[in-house]
Amino acid sequence: MNTASPIATHTIDFKAAARDLLPPGASYDACLSCGLCSAGCPASGLEGMDPRRFIRMAMLGMNEELSTTPWIWTCTQCQRCKYVCPMSIDVAVLVGLARGAWPTEKKPSGIVRSCEAQLRFPGTSAMGLQEEDFVETVEETVASVRGQGDRFARLEAPIDRQGAHFFVNQNSREPATEPEEMGPLWKIFDYVGADWTYSSTGWAAENFCMFTGDDQAWRKMVEQRVAAVNRLGCKVWLNTECGHSFYTVWKGVERFGLKADFEPASLVSYYARWIREGRLPVNAEWNTQGIKFTVQDPCQLVRKSLGDTMADDIRYVARMLVGEENFIDMAPSRSANYCCGGGGGFLQAGMKEQRWAYGKRKFDQITSTQADYVLTPCHNCHSQIEDLARHFHGGYRVVHFWTLICLSLGMLGEHERKYLGPDLARLGLGA
Amino acid sequence: MIKEPRRHQAELLVIGSGLAGMAASLFALARGVSVAQVGNSGVIAFTTGYLDLLGHDERGFVDDPWQALIRLREDEPRHPLANVTENDIRAAFTSFTQSLTEMGLGYTAPGAHNVLALTPAGTLKPTLSLPLTMQPAIAAMAAGLDTLIVDFTGLNGFSAREVVANLSQRWPGLRAARIGFPDMDSGAEVYAEVLARALEVPATRQLLAERIGPLLGSAQALGLPAILGVHRPDHVHRELQSLLGVPVFEIPTMPPAVPGVRLRELFETRLPQCGVALEPQHRVKRLELHTQGVTAHLEDAYGEVTIEAAAAVLATGRFTSGGLRADPNAIRETLVNLAVSQPEGRAHWYRPDYFDPRGHAINRSGVMVDEQWRPLDATGKPAHPRLFAAGSLLAHQDWIRQRCGAGVAIATAYKAVDAATQAARSG
Repeated sequence: MNTASPIATHTIDFKAAARDLLPPGASYDACLSCGLCSAGCPASGLEGMDPRRFIRMAMLGMNEELSTTPWIWTCTQCQRCKYVCPMSIDVAVLVGLARGAWPTEKKPSGIVRSCEAQLRFPGTSAMGLQEEDFVETVEETVASVRGQGDRFARLEAPIDRQGAHFFVNQNSREPATEPEEMGPLWKIFDYVGADWTYSSTGWAAENFCMFTGDDQAWRKMVEQRVAAVNRLGCKVWLNTECGHSFYTVWKGVERFGLKADFEPASLVSYYARWIREGRLPVNAEWNTQGIKFTVQDPCQLVRKSLGDTMADDIRYVARMLVGEENFIDMAPSRSANYCCGGGGGFLQAGMKEQRWAYGKRKFDQITSTQADYVLTPCHNCHSQIEDLARHFHGGYRVVHFWTLICLSLGMLGEHERKYLGPDLARLGLGA
Repeated sequence: MIKEPRRHQAELLVIGSGLAGMAASLFALARGVSVAQVGNSGVIAFTTGYLDLLGHDERGFVDDPWQALIRLREDEPRHPLANVTENDIRAAFTSFTQSLTEMGLGYTAPGAHNVLALTPAGTLKPTLSLPLTMQPAIAAMAAGLDTLIVDFTGLNGFSAREVVANLSQRWPGLRAARIGFPDMDSGAEVYAEVLARALEVPATRQLLAERIGPLLGSAQALGLPAILGVHRPDHVHRELQSLLGVPVFEIPTMPPAVPGVRLRELFETRLPQCGVALEPQHRVKRLELHTQGVTAHLEDAYGEVTIEAAAAVLATGRFTSGGLRADPNAIRETLVNLAVSQPEGRAHWYRPDYFDPRGHAINRSGVMVDEQWRPLDATGKPAHPRLFAAGSLLAHQDWIRQRCGAGVAIATAYKAVDAATQAARSG
């Protein structure tokens, strides 16, 4: 990205825009300038900016500066500033506006390219995976999982099955680069007897168009996905372990006034439900070594959408999986949690130094739990937290929920352990 | 898009999540009452961490708040604290500080006298109970120990030199030093909250101790801005003392400050663990009052939430927190439109001199209650048999000037919960 002298397509009048964007009764005039937003924001200080400064500059009419500051690409729009603000002032909404006003060629190219890729094919994959490749990869991987033993002989991963209860999306990372990671997810569906389907269109669980600030592209993406679910007549759109793909669809439907005949849900809530109902009888008996775990609350799933109900489900599943005594919460957590710095397109923005600086706070939080593993139901959190461990020489690993669920139920295959350490590499596999 | 409606049910609904609201939830839990709580954090993050009962009256600083309360009952019979017995105030205060300590945020037990505690500017103020991380300052000052006060490059709102300059006559052994905080010493602005979180990492404590150690010289104690961790301050405090080998104490910084963030995060973490259905950072939009109780409507990020309860405690605070609103010609209560005791017109809200020691009439405006802590309507009758009020929302007190904010919050929450519990369980 060229940040030397970006020139905005047009200079936004932020104060005027705020009047239109904020809900009735809310106003930046209410800002006390107290700085809780900045003290609680991991992006404070990057590019010489912080949330309080952003709001003050907006109030002072410093529109050109705000229209050109590259800080907006380091703000992940996680809304923690709004959460801790005594006046509930939303800075992220102005950041989204500022992003949209940048000329496309000046925006971080990684985010722009990901969005363009999503718009190119009906599968909506940010990694450019075409529908026939997705279908083929799923079919090949199903065959491979069936080969793991008799208990999986009838396992299925249906595609385009009309009238299935669950429409399941899939982050492109798995079919594109690590298809074996889809196995544990399917095994869980198989175990609980879920009535589910993938779709050949609108299957991908990522949406970088929102992060470009281009509302029309965001809308188009959501429209394609909503149409895909409506087409199959599914009751529940089940978002797999990913944060922003949930937010972009759920929020997008509301924001763009789309007609969606289904209920949006997070897979983790269903893990929790199935465990409570006894359909997924996980336990922590495997954890005889007392391996410690913590969880990362994805901002998009918790603070920005489903709230502490989601955070509670995440913890319930984690505790059941690893044992009460082996679960250590981060502080702060749940709705007050810090963004890891993987969101908002930051991972794709090419601003590594800034992203690491942002993530240092998350790294410190994790380090002070002394956990061996971080569980997170979000691919961007997963990648960022792993990268933080590499960069800052952390001693932890990052793992998906589906991996531990299958480990606990004794059905995790030998090649489905990419994210486990040597301590768990062979557990349950026999000699 | 199809969404499941979300409802909570509880015996008691606490509206507000400042000190009074949080104290109300704790008191209700202690009585085995099921609680739902809604409230924006308001200004709890703006506290110094000190819990004042009554620190100032017309004679000046109060040394013995219990004696001062006797005078208050005579001089200001409508003051909320004048309508709570000494026993109840003691029970409430003790229960509250014990709960905080048990939840991991250590506080001193309220004693017979106020102590003079340090302010961010190095002046002194009387308070009744203080965080354990700040307590060693009292003994160090009393003994006149050689003490080093350290501040940090880039940290606004706290100056060691200022503290030393203001205290040096009373405490001659004080000395100031400024250092860079480990890994945050570029000169750019740093925030106390960020330093506090960094000190939760053992390696950062070690690095900080290595920077401070050589500066100690003959110092027998060390004062730092309030940055000793957020969620385990007592642990961080002990660890740093052991690394440095001298008593360490915190001094509050300019608000919003770490001690307030500690309180907020403690409540937000622990209350749900104790079974409180907490909707943090949201406001009740509409409160319906009916024969069998109340129904609150609010909206969180996901959508509408409804809460049904048999009784409610209103602890929505004053102007900054949104419980009261100053319209051009009148002050009103924002949720139920309760009657508000107030001056006769805007011209009487303030005295001409902002620093007039007698204070301003607007600061004594607020909601009036009966002897059961039920707020009154315009006819002077309780607005509803199952609605109660507590905290700074109440009329006839001037908590900032009287240094009685925590006292009013805790004591009235105790009484309001007492009455609300009886109402909720009266069938």
